[in-house]
Order: sequence, then structure tokens, then C-alpha cells
Amino acid sequence: MSIDKPLVPQGPLLLTPASTRLVAGSLILAYLATQLPWPDGVSWLLPDFTLAVLLYWSIHAPHRAGLGLAMTLGLLTDIAQGGLMGQHALTYTLSAFAALSLRRRLENFQVGGRALQLAPIFFGQQLLFLLLGLAFHRPDVDWRFLAAGVATALFWIPAAHLLDWLTGWTSKMHIEPADSDPSVRTRGRAGHGGRGPR
Amino acid sequence: MAHAPMFARAMGLPARLALYCLASLALMVVDSRYAAMTAVKTSAAEFVYPIQAILARPFGFLNEAGDFFMVHGQVLGENRRLILASQVFASHLQGYEALKSENVQLRGLLNLPLPVGVQARAAEIVRILPDPFNRRVIVDKGAADGVTAGRPVVDAAGLVGQVTQVYADHSEVSLLTAKEQAAPVQNQRNGLRLIVSGAGSDDRLEVRYLDMHADIKPGDILVTSGIDGVYPLGIPVARVLQVEPPRQTPFAKAICQPIGAIGQHRHLLILGRAEVGPARQPTQ
Repeated sequence: MSIDKPLVPQGPLLLTPASTRLVAGSLILAYLATQLPWPDGVSWLLPDFTLAVLLYWSIHAPHRAGLGLAMTLGLLTDIAQGGLMGQHALTYTLSAFAALSLRRRLENFQVGGRALQLAPIFFGQQLLFLLLGLAFHRPDVDWRFLAAGVATALFWIPAAHLLDWLTGWTSKMHIEPADSDPSVRTRGRAGHGGRGPR
Repeated sequence: MAHAPMFARAMGLPARLALYCLASLALMVVDSRYAAMTAVKTSAAEFVYPIQAILARPFGFLNEAGDFFMVHGQVLGENRRLILASQVFASHLQGYEALKSENVQLRGLLNLPLPVGVQARAAEIVRILPDPFNRRVIVDKGAADGVTAGRPVVDAAGLVGQVTQVYADHSEVSLLTAKEQAAPVQNQRNGLRLIVSGAGSDDRLEVRYLDMHADIKPGDILVTSGIDGVYPLGIPVARVLQVEPPRQTPFAKAICQPIGAIGQHRHLLILGRAEVGPARQPTQ
């Protein structure tokens, strides 16, 4: 096996690793944004800010934003919305799992492409949320709320651009294929062994 | 980065996912089946509510600023109207006082329990819950103000809903127009007892299971009948718009319009439960 094409993908995940402060701060801001007194008429169109930011970090800083964080945020959302406990927790955890599984693939796309890849997750999360409500004896389902899933995918685009800018992530930092971008590859060799600076 | 451990000790991702999913599902089952979670939720909400209140404050200021810049003439006109209205109410009230004393006397004569005067408490809507399953709002009066779950909520015109969850200083009101809400009513014209239910829309209520030959016509006013012990007697609830004859079902259906301005106000009245006094009042 030649050294030019290493078996394990090389290269830094992030130039500046996302600081805990940034992850926590952006998640708190997103959570607070959902708590704003939004008018009643648009609540079915309102993107799920918390989920969008959570999935961003699941993709870009999987060691910080894993399933446990997703579940915690879901429980917090359940408390704030006064619904069934565990309903958001379950759907957030499943979404985070889906995002973690998709992570490698997403790294080859620009922000817009990633939003398109993530859209089924956001939509599926909302659908599962409504179906869980149906399953637990809440028959009066407002199906317009499915639009929130699409809105979350749309919201993800500006949010990802902003967070990319804050973390210093650029689209050049593809890790696969390793030989497409020489600058990244050499840098990756220099820090051989780790998957990225921690 | 620390050196990699020789054996992986952490659980794999799918295993953790399964664990978390099971935990969430267990929570949901416990929450929907048993009342045990209510205490946890109530105390947890005490931490979240102040945050929501602080976040809502700038928007409240904006509203008030808008009110401040209202045109002078508008205020004057409104004031004049209110004075007139209060005079009309005062004249009504005189008759009411006389009727009330007469009623007390008659009830004493008939040996009926005396309903203590229903107390109302004004509350402001602070938040509308973005819940796809239910129509609920949060108002700023809670257990500290003597609110208890199950209390009827009205506005100036008619019934709006019912308090369903009480926290320390706020509470949750389920609107009458939610599909799972229902209120026992009677037709003001002929006393026919019915149950009116929400239809999931702010400007519609319906009587779902109506006898084919029931005497109910468009224009009838439905008021609470007071027989469920939740809603006091005589609060206007809905106006009948049309009566649909039975088609596939053996029941007719009446489409009504709520009289309370559901979804259009910021202030509500929470009524105290009409406490039933001692079973027998001594005759006078």
C-alpha cells in the first residue's frame, strides 16, 4: 500500500476546533430563540433552531455534540413546550444519530448541498414527532407543522454559514479524497496519527 | 490527545442510541399513563418560565410603546364609549343586585345549596404554546394567585377554555376550540342540553352527536348548563350557525361560532370554582 493513498482518511477535521464555549453558546442562543414569544399564526412555520444548531455540531464536532447532548436538549425542549416528556428527546436523539451516520458523506458537500442532505432528517424528525403524538393519544394533529421540518432545513443554511465563519471552517477542508487538495493533505501528514486536533 | 486505549470501553453508537431511545420511550409512557411526571414537569417548568418571561419582556415594551403613541382622539372616543358602557352596566347591575337578593331568598325557601359568588381573576396571556396537538396558552397567574386546575376561563363575551395545568406563578389554559375540549351547554331558547366540542379552529365549535329531531336552529345561543361542576351556569359559549342533517351517521351535527373572542385577546378572566356551600341552608 502506497503512502500516497492512506487507508485511513487523513487531514484535520477543523483548523480551529470548536471551543466548548462556542458550542454551548450557540446551542443556548438557539434554545432561547425557540422560547421567544413568536406569534401564534407562524408557529407551524417556525424552524426548530435548537435542532438545526445541534445537528451542525453533530457533524462538525461529533465529540462534543453526541447523542447524550441531543437527548438533554430534547428534554429541555419538552419542558419548555409543556408537551409529552421524551417526545422531543427521542426525535432529537434519532436525528443526531442520523446526522452522525451521514457525517462522512456530508463533508464532501457545500453548505447548500448539506442542507439538502439534511432536509429528510429535519422533515422526518417533525413527522416522527407528530406520529408519536398520535401514538400517545393526542388525536388532534395539526399536520401543517410538517412545514417546520422544511423551514428548519432552510434555516440550517444561514446558521451553518455563520457557524462556519465563527469556527473558521472552509469548504476546502474536505478530508476525502485525500489527494484532491494538496495543502490539506500535507497538513494532515504533519499531524499524523490523530483524526484532528482536539 | 491522550493515547488511544487498547480496548474500547465506551458503548458503540447504535447501543447508545438504543439506550437513549428506550429511556425516552419509557419517559413518554410514564408521562402519558401516570400522573407521577406532573410534579417533575411542574418543578422543571419553574426554571424555564422566568427565562421565557424575560425574553418576552422587550416585546411587551414594544406593544406598550405602540399603545402610547395612539392618537389622542382615538383615546377620547374610546373613553366616551367606555363611560357610556359603564353607565349601561351600572343600570344592569342595579337590577342584578335586586335579583341576587331575591334569588338568595328563593333558594333559602327551596332549601337549595347556595352557590357562593364566583370570583374572577384577570390574567394576561404571556405565551402561546407552539403545540401541534392542542391549542393552549400560558397566562401569568398561577398557584400563588389561587388558581387551580380545572377552572373555567372566560373573556368579556363568553367562555374561552379551562385551566389545565397550574405552575407556581403561571398556568396553562386549554382553549375550548381544541378538538379534545368539550363543554356541557344548553340551548338558551328551550333549555335543550347538549355537549359542544372544539373543532380545531378558532372560529368554529360543533355539536357532534345531535338527535335527528332536536329542536335547534341557526341563531340559537348555547350557554353553559352548569351540570358538570366545572363551568358555572349561564356563560355564553356559542351561537349556532347551521344544522347539518344526518348523512352517513344517525346523528345530526350543528356548526357553531364561539361567542368568546378566542385567539384575539391578551387578557382573560379565570373564574373561581363556584364552591358549593353547606348542603342545606337553613330556611329563613
